[in-house]
Amino acid sequence: MTDTTTRPSGSDTDIKGPGYRVWFDAPARTVHFEGVLRLSTSEYKPIEDLLDRVLLDHPALGLRMTELQFLNSSGINMLYKFAIAARKKGDIEVKVHGSSTIPWQGKSLPNLKKFLPTIVIALD
Amino acid sequence: MDGIIGEYREPTDAGPRVTLVFYPGAFPVKWNQCSVAAEFFAEYFADVGEGGLTEEAERRDFVGSVGYVLNELIENAVKFCAGGTVVIDAGVDAGEFVMVVSNQVCADAVDGLRVKFAELLDGDPAELLMQRVEENAANPDLTTSGLGFLTMLSDYKARLGWRFDPAPGNPDNALLKTAARLQVKSS
Repeated sequence: MTDTTTRPSGSDTDIKGPGYRVWFDAPARTVHFEGVLRLSTSEYKPIEDLLDRVLLDHPALGLRMTELQFLNSSGINMLYKFAIAARKKGDIEVKVHGSSTIPWQGKSLPNLKKFLPTIVIALD
Repeated sequence: MDGIIGEYREPTDAGPRVTLVFYPGAFPVKWNQCSVAAEFFAEYFADVGEGGLTEEAERRDFVGSVGYVLNELIENAVKFCAGGTVVIDAGVDAGEFVMVVSNQVCADAVDGLRVKFAELLDGDPAELLMQRVEENAANPDLTTSGLGFLTMLSDYKARLGWRFDPAPGNPDNALLKTAARLQVKSS
């Protein structure tokens, strides 16, 4: 039986599910992460695809996390893998905007530097 | 199949304690209910543990940390459950928040799990985490990230332990109890 409550909707660049939204603001070259993301590893695929696509097409990217309250380990895996893909691509500037008042961000975002040393992490 | 790996400890009745039992046979546990259950424990204990956490930043850190660690434990229990109940038992004890999540696994899986858990505790968690993510990036078809315990150890400084017992009434299964402890206050 399929659990329809976790199925994402929206377009390739605007992914919505129960309690979360991930969307690409093309003019600002920024991917916005909002809400609570606690999906299973395979359920992150549409978001992974979005990140892969924008990585291919842009020399500079922002990831805005200031509205992302929770991210589980499968989501952290997705984020770190994105950093590795950016390192392998090379010649790309990535800036992460986070919030120091959201606990997981202070604990897990700094690790991004290990996978992509040039990444800029700004915690408000 | 009995045995303990790591720093296994259960909550006691010395402080506030709550136990929640899911009976998946009659009521399948949906993935998003892991998050709801974890949030309940985080919010509840933020207010009752040792007089409650009054500093806003302290409370936020507690709710965020317990919410993350417990959600990971419950996701694991639901994902790898081989039948039977999923039990969440948590309490505050001597300045620590103690969580134990129990589920049944196939008895055949026990030896492999023992090796895996021992490896987690033997290595440097930050290094193991880096290795694992690089492996995951090189193998996009993997269906589990394997980062749950590693992030708990590396980013949350959780102390982990596991206990195996025979599953009541089912010789094909083993009962796995996973314990995680977090410091409630740094002072």
